[in-house]
Amino acid sequence: MLMTPEEARALARKAVSMTHADEAEALVAAESSSLTRFANNRINQNVAEENALVSVRAVLGKRIGVASTNRLDDASLQAACDAAVRAARIAPEDPSFPGLPGPNAVREADRAVRATRGFDAEARAAAVGSIVAQSSGRGLSAAGKVRVAEHTIAVANSLGVDVGQALTGAQATVLSSGADSGSGWASFLDADASKLASEALGAEAADLAERSANPGSLDPGEYTVVLAPEAVADIMDFLAYVGFSAKAYHEGRSFMSNHIEDGVMSEQVSITDDALAAHAMGITFDYEGQPKRRVPMIEYGVATKPVTDSYWAAKTGWDNTGHALPAPNPYGPMPLNMEVAPGTASIDELIGSVKRGVYVTRFHYVNVEDPISVLLTGMTRDGTFMIEGGKLTRPLKNLRFTQSAVSALYWCDAATKERKFVGTEEGASFVPGLLISKFTFTGQTK
Amino acid sequence: MRRPSSVFLRCVDQVHGKIGFGATGPFRSSRLHQHSILGGIHVNDIIAAALNAAQLAGASYADARIVDTSREELQIASGVVEAVERSDSFGIGVRALIDGAWGFASSRTVTADEAAHVARHAVAIARASAMVAGAPVALTPVEPARGTWSGPVGIDPFQVPLEDKLALLIAADEALRAQPEVTLTKAHMGFFRERKWFGSTEGAMTEQSVIESGAGIVAYAIGEGEVVSRSYPNSHGGGWEQAGWEYITRLDLVGNAPRVAEQAAALLSAPFVEPGMRDLIIDGGQVALQVHESIGHPTELDRVLGEEAAFAGTSFVGLGDVGTLQYGSEHVTVTSDATISGSLGSFGWDDEGVPAQRDYLVREGVLTGLQTSRETAASIGRTSNGCMRADGWNRIPLIRMTTVSLEPGTWAFDDLVADTEGGLYIETNNSWSIDDKRLNFQFGCEIGWQIENGKLGRMVKTPNYTGITPQFWGSCDAVCSRDYWQVWGLANCGKGEPMQTAHVAHGAAPARFRNVQVGVGR
Repeated sequence: MLMTPEEARALARKAVSMTHADEAEALVAAESSSLTRFANNRINQNVAEENALVSVRAVLGKRIGVASTNRLDDASLQAACDAAVRAARIAPEDPSFPGLPGPNAVREADRAVRATRGFDAEARAAAVGSIVAQSSGRGLSAAGKVRVAEHTIAVANSLGVDVGQALTGAQATVLSSGADSGSGWASFLDADASKLASEALGAEAADLAERSANPGSLDPGEYTVVLAPEAVADIMDFLAYVGFSAKAYHEGRSFMSNHIEDGVMSEQVSITDDALAAHAMGITFDYEGQPKRRVPMIEYGVATKPVTDSYWAAKTGWDNTGHALPAPNPYGPMPLNMEVAPGTASIDELIGSVKRGVYVTRFHYVNVEDPISVLLTGMTRDGTFMIEGGKLTRPLKNLRFTQSAVSALYWCDAATKERKFVGTEEGASFVPGLLISKFTFTGQTK
Repeated sequence: MRRPSSVFLRCVDQVHGKIGFGATGPFRSSRLHQHSILGGIHVNDIIAAALNAAQLAGASYADARIVDTSREELQIASGVVEAVERSDSFGIGVRALIDGAWGFASSRTVTADEAAHVARHAVAIARASAMVAGAPVALTPVEPARGTWSGPVGIDPFQVPLEDKLALLIAADEALRAQPEVTLTKAHMGFFRERKWFGSTEGAMTEQSVIESGAGIVAYAIGEGEVVSRSYPNSHGGGWEQAGWEYITRLDLVGNAPRVAEQAAALLSAPFVEPGMRDLIIDGGQVALQVHESIGHPTELDRVLGEEAAFAGTSFVGLGDVGTLQYGSEHVTVTSDATISGSLGSFGWDDEGVPAQRDYLVREGVLTGLQTSRETAASIGRTSNGCMRADGWNRIPLIRMTTVSLEPGTWAFDDLVADTEGGLYIETNNSWSIDDKRLNFQFGCEIGWQIENGKLGRMVKTPNYTGITPQFWGSCDAVCSRDYWQVWGLANCGKGEPMQTAHVAHGAAPARFRNVQVGVGR
């Protein structure tokens, strides 16, 4: 039985009280998760996990040490607290450390769904059966997963921070493949497992697989593209990683560095981090127990502000937006609830507006070549099509792109009205499909 | 943390260092620890409780692993401490086979009662798996493993005072900041200790322990709209070995810092490489990653069979290709070896109790083998060559690379450069990407030098190159000799769902490839 938020908060407070330092903070992260994996139209892996971690940050003046353990008996917990203090005693001072943040009101949100907790191995197997039937019945092969998880997160510190929240997540992915090199993809993410429409999800992937059979070639070059939400989410991930952090900004590594209030993307593009939205997933406080705030990072193409945590807020003079990751955090603050503003079109209308271009279902194995321009390279996957005369005319073998994400969004002409969650319940992007008029493909697979 | 993990754990953080073959070699014993005790816990009894419960619940096969890990991470950035962290994790995982289908359950509570509960849970999950079953899982035979094994270690890094570790990092970080162009520096150190007990219903009972040590430095020079970096001994986490503190001191981070900083500063004003086709000499570190992505992963038999299709992808290699596929030129011979002392890819037995082995994957250009498990090996008519490893107590074993190496050739590095009329020499990865069948790849490196008339000439920044796997390896016409060959540890190879991170390694020396496309997208 997973601990409740109240139990997790009590455990965090206990760890704080056991940490003999000037200031102390404890993060409790408990998880119960199950994942049923399938491939070749059968369940091939089926796993379950129960875990709970206590991570302690001890502060002595401006010296900080961190220790964590998943052994929750008193002796082990005390050993972790002592290890954090020992590390703090020896760590060099960080003159910029502002001290731990004090308590601030956190918005309560009920994001744990009973139906997800009850989605057991048989329910997952039944869902997989429905998904697989859509492929096996057409001579295709399905692979993917059905995963459910419940989490309890709590943070307490010696200044009075004392917050906790439970959340659930249900996720399903489907790759349907044919012998003639066609493949299609579909995915689902929600706090509520009962919303999983297995048959429809399986059919969506199988339809795409049939449609993408016998793919052809395309010369490298600059094309208009329509990116489905899954592909857009990948781009958002990398913008968050290298661009939207106050740390990257301060160090001059972000495309936003020295460009606040500048138009850096198309007016069609607004990117916000908002864990408080009614539809949002995830927790409403950060890993320092501070309230997450809504942060418009890009407004109508203009760079507005990066996200902060207590350290980088103090260092830069900006407000603390509540985007701390667990300590120690060499990455800096990070947006985990990104939203891209919707447009007014349907995905078919975006495709219909393109004379000659490429439709991308999703990307694969994307990586950064240059952080400041967010120059990315990666492959397309599971449904890449030529668009000609406003229609998908023929499938394409997977394409390699080498393209600046910032530049791509500068050439964004439109977005879909419909948006989709992509990621996990702990950090999901809510994104539309996008029409981008200049996007560079530099190669193609065999 | 999806964002960091989705970015960093896609496949690899690479790390390296020369492997020692000294007196502290790995120990393997047939002695059976009937009563291994960890903090008052009789681990073998707990494993027995799990196995008994699984059998009573109807499992035709079960195995159980208790894993106890500790990590220590220290990082200094531009003179400021970014991390001083110690983390411990302990738990048990049970894998059960029933009606030819798998189930796995795990718990952080390591008691006999909980072990039995976890085992029954694993069996229940396996029964659910059978609702959507294929052909029943059958395991190729193996002699039940019994004994102990431990990796080599000189000075236990967990006993070295934190003060000494931080002093070394601070000195290295400070030495990086000698160049005004270098405005961001990082110095990192990490240590990992694992004790693992494994038992199976076939009678296996083993105990293994390993200590790994790693460290590295990075200098960033940041100009207007531009960031360049230079790393030592490798990017993405530095160098790693199964070793102790002696490995860290051997790296000489402080002594290497001035060169690293100078090169980072010089990169800011260096030109990009001109796009086009070039003869390319690649340093051992990048060859290691090239082997990892374009030979290691595609020769994992689970990928070949489509078992990883939805996440990491499949492979261009087919079952019928073993013995016939021309993977590369005659200069390309690749081994999978879990017996190299000090390599991150070494162990006594894999997580199915199969003993560590050395096997050929490619011999003189022809595909001759694959990395296998007990479940998959029969599909190529073989028994397991011992590649199943799990990332901790809460994960199932998957086929993971051990030490997958490009065997050394005969060339001296200077002779190879002198033999190259025009081209490019590149070092140290900074970006990697490959398609879902492991064919179309693109890699970027930190630094390169033009080769003109057999001599290294002008420096170029962030050179990248792209190719198609068999054609690329087919263009390899020279590999440097064992004098230039070393094992490069990669401590962060991602695979599987839930994501697992494996510690693997690759032996590699500089090698030459003809007529490669460089300067993509610049």
